Amino acid sequence: MVFFACKPHVDVPAVSKGNLDLTNYVAIGNSISAGYADNALYYGGQEVSYPNLLAQQLKLAGAGNFKQPYVDASSVGIGVNQNARFALKPNADCSGAISLAPIAIANEGDFNILTTSVAAQGPFNNMAVPGAKSITTIYPGYGDFTKGPGNFNPFFTRMTANPASASILSDALAQNPSFFTMSVGNDDVYGYALSGGVFDGITPSVGPAGVGFDASVDMIAGAFLQAGAKGVIANIPEISAIPYFNTVPYNGLVVDATTAAALSAAYAPLGISFQAGPNGFIIEDINAPGGMRQIQAGEMVLLSVPQDSLKCGGWGSMKPIPDQYILTADEISQVNSAVSAYNTKLKSIADANGLAFVDVNAFMHTVKTGIIYNGVGINASFVSGGAFSLDGVHLTPLGNALLANAFIKAINSKYGSTIPQIDATRYKGVAFP
Amino acid sequence: MKKVFALITICAPLLLKAQGFQVNLQGQKQQGMGGTGTGIVTDGASLFFNPGGVSFLKQNSVSVGVTPVISHAKYVDASSSTVSETNSPVSYPFTAYMVLGKKDSKLKYGLAAYTPFGSTIDWEDGWTGRFALTRLQLATVYIQPTVSYKITDQLGIGAGFVYGIGKVNLQRDMPLVDEQGNYGHATLDGKAHGYGFNAGLYFQPSSKFSVGLNYRSEVKMKADDGDATFEVPASMETAFPSGKFSTSLPLPKVISLGFSYNPNKKLVLAFDATMVGWKSFDTLTFDYEQNTPYLADTKSARKYENTFSYRVGAQYTVSEKVAARAGIKYLMTPVQDGYVTPDVPDASHFNYSLGLGYKLNSRLTADMSFTIQSMKRTDTNVETQMSGSYKTNIYMPGISLNYNF
Repeated sequence: MVFFACKPHVDVPAVSKGNLDLTNYVAIGNSISAGYADNALYYGGQEVSYPNLLAQQLKLAGAGNFKQPYVDASSVGIGVNQNARFALKPNADCSGAISLAPIAIANEGDFNILTTSVAAQGPFNNMAVPGAKSITTIYPGYGDFTKGPGNFNPFFTRMTANPASASILSDALAQNPSFFTMSVGNDDVYGYALSGGVFDGITPSVGPAGVGFDASVDMIAGAFLQAGAKGVIANIPEISAIPYFNTVPYNGLVVDATTAAALSAAYAPLGISFQAGPNGFIIEDINAPGGMRQIQAGEMVLLSVPQDSLKCGGWGSMKPIPDQYILTADEISQVNSAVSAYNTKLKSIADANGLAFVDVNAFMHTVKTGIIYNGVGINASFVSGGAFSLDGVHLTPLGNALLANAFIKAINSKYGSTIPQIDATRYKGVAFP
Repeated sequence: MKKVFALITICAPLLLKAQGFQVNLQGQKQQGMGGTGTGIVTDGASLFFNPGGVSFLKQNSVSVGVTPVISHAKYVDASSSTVSETNSPVSYPFTAYMVLGKKDSKLKYGLAAYTPFGSTIDWEDGWTGRFALTRLQLATVYIQPTVSYKITDQLGIGAGFVYGIGKVNLQRDMPLVDEQGNYGHATLDGKAHGYGFNAGLYFQPSSKFSVGLNYRSEVKMKADDGDATFEVPASMETAFPSGKFSTSLPLPKVISLGFSYNPNKKLVLAFDATMVGWKSFDTLTFDYEQNTPYLADTKSARKYENTFSYRVGAQYTVSEKVAARAGIKYLMTPVQDGYVTPDVPDASHFNYSLGLGYKLNSRLTADMSFTIQSMKRTDTNVETQMSGSYKTNIYMPGISLNYNF
């Protein structure tokens, strides 16, 4: 009975870094790695960026400090549309009905974030820059605002000590990384997809570094490998797994028989008819007769579409929904082809160089199917699912913690390390007022 | 016993409380002998262990006893290695037995009140499993008026009517967070009651040997008017309306067969084998009076299995005033792999007990026992996907006073 003590003794597995050198972890990536969330870069999102969460676990295995280019903790943040971050608030729609909706917490974003350099606090282990593509990650002078809008990235300007000459990659390599995560490629295709195929192009696979995806990612990964670093390559998710693309139903035009008859009469010249019940929206399509047509099953209405315009403005019925809010079958096919080609390339780099590989696409599809984690149901439903933040693309703290765990699993299995996963119950989903 | 109490003092500041769902803490004499008591008649605790033996008691008696249950559990989350602990007050299962009858009468009457089932566990704030459970307090008391009849000098029968009362308080955090980072919290609080019986047969063919058979029926505890309280962010209050709920919990039947043997005047040996009908605890259902798209009734599969326990105990009469006891009990868990929950982190286990009886005077006896138990269980729960190891240490020091007249 001597084995009895007041408190039970429990055994906890030993933590080891395996054959990794974790002295200096540098993350390279885009908005997802930067901790952008709720449609803005803000402190609360940066705190729970998956590279930062991963770094906290790596520290348990002896890793060094992980520095991020934080914005001010009290800042409302700033998004790509100069907006403040979103929060869930009660909101009256055009018909006066009140429901919870993602609302920017201030009229405009905090421009100080973009105009105040934090480079003096650097260099930063988290080199992820919102909006960075594979091809722009290697641009020298990517922080040079004198190049004019579209030719530089203000999120990089604020964090680099040499905006006129440095590239994201050169700033990353200057830190002598011993370990890296590379999550590149989302913006090479998501810029196009998020804007309905209107405002941005898809980076081609072929072409020299700085033009084509393949050569650019080869250059990025090659640079880390040449520096002697080991690391992880992540792929990118298909858009079908992301709430931004699958929350608004294509056939959300629900009408009664009278309205259906009236719409059918009005659209008779275009050969479009409507029935009582759900109908596909009318969308803009320059290739269709009259510049408009009815959306087909499988095509996507984006989360960015103004809900009031759908409900009260006659969008999708009296007038076509503008192109920027729609991904047509052809556009979806281009996006899917690009994602597939990028992912094939990313996997081949990992395999060829013995790097760990995180199948973020598979992870996102698992989330979409729904998971139960320590009694918490998590899925990809917008707001209620708990994984995606209020922009429908970037993750919540909980989603980031689960993603970081996917990285840890890949690292442990590749490098023989035993880095504990994160207890993700300590991270929240969407906050409710 | 000094040692025992010293140990309690050391543990006290750290104590938590948890105990198996079934409370195997009845008479102190029996507890000191590893929980045997079906085939041996020593005092009023036979009202619980075997009403058939009550008619063999030579004197009227009143006894009261209590066994503080002091427990401490830890949980290690498999993937993150996060260690969580319980913290809670000590629980106090009690016993009260009264046996009355005319001297030399074949008919004896009895009244018993005892705690047959219960569990209290309270996990630390923010623990890994908080969305499954933060706190469970389940207490039941059976009140049992009993009649026992000695058919022959060798054979007795007895039966009691059981009225069960219970209260349950179950709490968990909800994965609904407000802008300040406060999580939602659900509290289910209710009172329950149910009915059953306890019947037994006692056979004593010689002064050296006796055997007993006991059947304690299932008692279906029903709570129809419980209070469900949901603390959630303001905008979700209509989605999770606080209100009434109902539930039921089957407290299983227990069938025991016991023997005792006295090799000499000073030594008594006892053996019990017990079957517990846990199979009736298949699903735990909570039926909310007001459902919403967010608040549906819940059905949680428990799929408990019938189990057995085996007990061996001995008593040695040291002197006219002092008796020393010891026993070992092996209890199989009713909880299948995949169904271990943080409210009852149960595992098959041994427990070990020591006991001491001291005759204060011709009428008054004090009995003490000390029982310890340690168990470990590693599991992945099919419903919550909680994957990890529970380890629990439990200390049960008990005392009773018995007055004969």
